[in-house]
Amino acid sequence: MEQLIVIIVLIAVGYAAGTLTEKRHYRSIERRESAYLSLPAVTIKNVDINAAKVREVKLVCGSAVISIDYFKRVLAGLRNIFGGTVKSYETLMDRARREALLRMKEAASDAAIIVNVRIETSAIEKTTRNKNLGCLEAVASGTALFLEE
Amino acid sequence: MKFTPRMPESNVNVTPTSPLWEFFVLLSAAMGIIVGIYLLLGFAVDVFVPRIPIGIEQNMAGSFINATPLLNDSPEKVQEIQVLLNTLQTQCAQLPYHFSIYLQKNPQANAVALPGGNIILFSGLLDRIESETELSFVLSHEMGHFASRDHLRVLGRALIFMALSAAAFGPGSSVGDLLAQSLNMTELGFSRKQETRADDFALNVLHCRYGHVGGAIDLIDKLTTDKDAELMGHYFSTHPQSKERISHIKAYSRSHNFSIAPIQTPKPEKLPSSRG
Repeated sequence: MEQLIVIIVLIAVGYAAGTLTEKRHYRSIERRESAYLSLPAVTIKNVDINAAKVREVKLVCGSAVISIDYFKRVLAGLRNIFGGTVKSYETLMDRARREALLRMKEAASDAAIIVNVRIETSAIEKTTRNKNLGCLEAVASGTALFLEE
Repeated sequence: MKFTPRMPESNVNVTPTSPLWEFFVLLSAAMGIIVGIYLLLGFAVDVFVPRIPIGIEQNMAGSFINATPLLNDSPEKVQEIQVLLNTLQTQCAQLPYHFSIYLQKNPQANAVALPGGNIILFSGLLDRIESETELSFVLSHEMGHFASRDHLRVLGRALIFMALSAAAFGPGSSVGDLLAQSLNMTELGFSRKQETRADDFALNVLHCRYGHVGGAIDLIDKLTTDKDAELMGHYFSTHPQSKERISHIKAYSRSHNFSIAPIQTPKPEKLPSSRG
């Protein structure tokens, strides 16, 4: 009986805190994305910039580790039984990717352009007892081009 | 190439959804399935358990007998009782079981019927039995429970799982052992109807073997007046049920023309007590 109460409390706390954290994070993400709008991060490798103008070429990467809350974990567990899109994890992945990109841009804040941007995600803390994701890590990497003024 | 910085209008990667609603729907579906399985199992117990084939029951037998603490310290006694049981079965109780007798040191006056044809007699019961006809009544009563598969019915839903695992994996499966340990065998309470049916079966066997059914009433009478009332198991207690039991036995015997011989004639054979 106590176990059931513990689980219910965890789910309630997870839902409340998780929703709050998510909203705050999205606000921060959108704010920073507007700020970095002028710095292009593209996946193409060749851009038509005069090579002579390039001052510096640097590898930049940004990574973010986002954890899941208990409510989302339970929801995903139920989803695992019945199948279908695990909507509770969608926001997780979205936030992790965008945060990683933003941090990458932050590492090259006065670059002209970041080319060859790649994003990779991986799961962390996938213990055998709890087969659902513990945390999600996203790494965004690219080549930043700094131009001469 | 022209670069136009622009924020995206919508986010295609996130589905607008209400997680609470989704949680409620999935949880209800899962609960519904569990309740459905529970009801189905209850139905299966009533319909299928009495029809479990003897072969599968034999496969389960090992798990139960291994989970019970036994004390076979008098193998000659066990042998005697086994011989009596075999005689009764061959002559008067044609059942597709191979019965085995086990003794357990226990002051209770009780006996337990385990799946697979294993009968455990408690020393408390044997101490109070004084004649062969009384012992035959006890053995035939247990055989009667086996005949109606009562010992399977009372185990309920857990038995379905055990039978399935015994059918799939054969004898000695760990699932069976786990479940057998959790089923408390000594507290098996048979219903009045089941007890009456077992009594009738025993009466028929007694009549067939001895020509009279005196042993039955002797035993019940003796134990209902025993001062150690709290040691009586499901067999005998000072509960009014025993009076109804005796009157039912008398009525049944009358209707079937069984003779209830008085205790004096013929002189019953004395059995050595389990302490001797």
